[in-house]
Amino acid sequence: MSGVKLDRVVKTYGAVQVVHGIDLHIKPKEFVVLVGPSGCGKSTTLRMIAGLEEISGGTIAIDGRVVNRVAPKDRDVAMVFQNYALYPHLSVAENIAFGLRIRRTPREEIRRSVAEVAEILGLTQYLERRPADLSGGQRQRVAMGRAIVRHPKVFLFDEPLSNLDAKLRTQMRAEIRRLHNRLGVTSIYVTHDQVEAMTLADRIVVMNGGRIEQIGTPMELFTNPANLFVAGFIGSPPMNQLRGRVVRDADGPAVMIRDIRVRLPRDVSVEDSQEVLLGVRPEHVLLAARSNATPVPISLDLVEPLGSEALLHAEIHGQPFVIKAPTQGDVGRFSGLDMIHLPAEELKVFDAETGRSLITHQVSGG
Amino acid sequence: MTQWNMYSRGDKIFAMTCAILVGMFTAATLYPFIYIAAVSFSSGFAATAGKVVLTPIDFTVEAYRFILGDPRFWNSYKNTFIYTIGGTAMSLVLIIPAAYALSRPQLVGRRFWNLFIAFTMWFNAGMIPFFLNMRDLGLLDSMFGIIIGFAVNAFNIILLRNFFESIPRSFEEAARMDGANEFQVLWKVFVPLAKPAIATITLFCIVSRWNGFFWAMVLLQSEEKIPLQVFLRHTIANLSDTEEFAMTALDASYSAETITAAIIVCSILPVLIVYPFIQRYFEKGILLGGVKE
Repeated sequence: MSGVKLDRVVKTYGAVQVVHGIDLHIKPKEFVVLVGPSGCGKSTTLRMIAGLEEISGGTIAIDGRVVNRVAPKDRDVAMVFQNYALYPHLSVAENIAFGLRIRRTPREEIRRSVAEVAEILGLTQYLERRPADLSGGQRQRVAMGRAIVRHPKVFLFDEPLSNLDAKLRTQMRAEIRRLHNRLGVTSIYVTHDQVEAMTLADRIVVMNGGRIEQIGTPMELFTNPANLFVAGFIGSPPMNQLRGRVVRDADGPAVMIRDIRVRLPRDVSVEDSQEVLLGVRPEHVLLAARSNATPVPISLDLVEPLGSEALLHAEIHGQPFVIKAPTQGDVGRFSGLDMIHLPAEELKVFDAETGRSLITHQVSGG
Repeated sequence: MTQWNMYSRGDKIFAMTCAILVGMFTAATLYPFIYIAAVSFSSGFAATAGKVVLTPIDFTVEAYRFILGDPRFWNSYKNTFIYTIGGTAMSLVLIIPAAYALSRPQLVGRRFWNLFIAFTMWFNAGMIPFFLNMRDLGLLDSMFGIIIGFAVNAFNIILLRNFFESIPRSFEEAARMDGANEFQVLWKVFVPLAKPAIATITLFCIVSRWNGFFWAMVLLQSEEKIPLQVFLRHTIANLSDTEEFAMTALDASYSAETITAAIIVCSILPVLIVYPFIQRYFEKGILLGGVKE
């Protein structure tokens, strides 16, 4: 099985540099998701691995072979495109077989391979249909079939689920992960949807402005974001950020948010009077008092029931704050809520200027 | 009817005005066809006397009998088919790769080449230089000269180029990743996807070749190489002067007018037969070629 290694890869368009020397080592059989906002360079990076974009600097190696000057067809990678790119004039079977026909694979082998792939993807009964006669999910499966029929070393997915509705996306997400578990082929997946990234990836690469912000397992990124960008991007709803100033006393470090004093975890590297942003995940907020949790007064603005949970939109001294809390079947329990509790061990602290995490001892995310 | 009652007075007047205008336009377009057909089936006397208006007078097929019995008519008909089929095929062979190349962003000097070709839509060398060019290439009085000399048309190249440009890039990229080379990308992906646009330019080529008259008259001297339109011209010019015609037309069952009309009917018939088969592509092709998705 094949790994992919990017070494100081740069991409420029004229005078504009869009990918700034990224390093990334993807292990064989690994499922890596590149995630980030629009224009962060994730799709460009994927296309450089595919060979559809020339690289302006650095090296890309697939299975130990540098492929900088190797044509896409000779890299032994297959790609699933955002718009499926199914040929409308060909049937499902012909679409899946296209790559094999181009490579002059014997007819009998093509027939066998197409049947096998159709069986895996549940497309057997649709083989004679044209793409226009299929649903979005079926088209997506055909696009995957076209990729897997060649048994490539690496699968590349360029936002393959973004054209599907929410329900189908959830279903297809699970199918892609099952397929990866079954085939065990190294996969690189691009998305801007952090939920897709969290659910699919062995490791997530968070990109921003053509740079890698952090690489880690989904839980590592969720639990120990390296900076404010990752903290805000991973998790839904995003992490709350409260601006304050550090104070120190006998009890250890704390942050003053005007007159509210919030105790910090001990493993934090802060200086007195340093301006910081306190990060609190909406789901880590406590509604009941507990030892080692600081009580904080809030003014509740709006309750959004989601079923088993609700999103409570509030303010702390004019700073917006979201709480995710279980409804226990009754949204009315939140009326009159004016106090929450922030457990010190769940708080994150970021430098207000650089956005870097100031937590020194990173808790393992599993 | 219920819907009609829902319209305001102004809307009704507008709709009726539109209907009348469309009706008049349709009548103005159809009438020449109906008139020519009616003349071709009328007696020579009625046609010459100007009695034919809408339907044949003294119905007869003598004019058709006369031209269908003339071996020169059949020879020019055959020539027109050769120029139309050969010329259209030659045009497609040259236009499709040219349009594909011009649509590719990686083509070196793409802007220049596009301008170079589009330039000829507004400015060309003119009649005399073109004639001299054909003469110097040894293509005077040559059937191949007629086929190759008018094979490339800038408008058709640009129409098809626009269509190729509107095809999402991922089709090409998917084919490339599957191992297709440039020719396979064109032949197996772009040509099938561009069927509406290709059908449109095919129809343009067929109609222009079928009706080709001026250059065939200028470049071809041998009687046995002339197409139908030139034969028609010769017939109109010479028919009433010939002794043979004067003798045979004495019974007035046909005349120069009815024979001309019969040749016109015979010449437009194949285009009328082909058009309905390509029409659906024709409309789609014109629209799609200009729209970028």
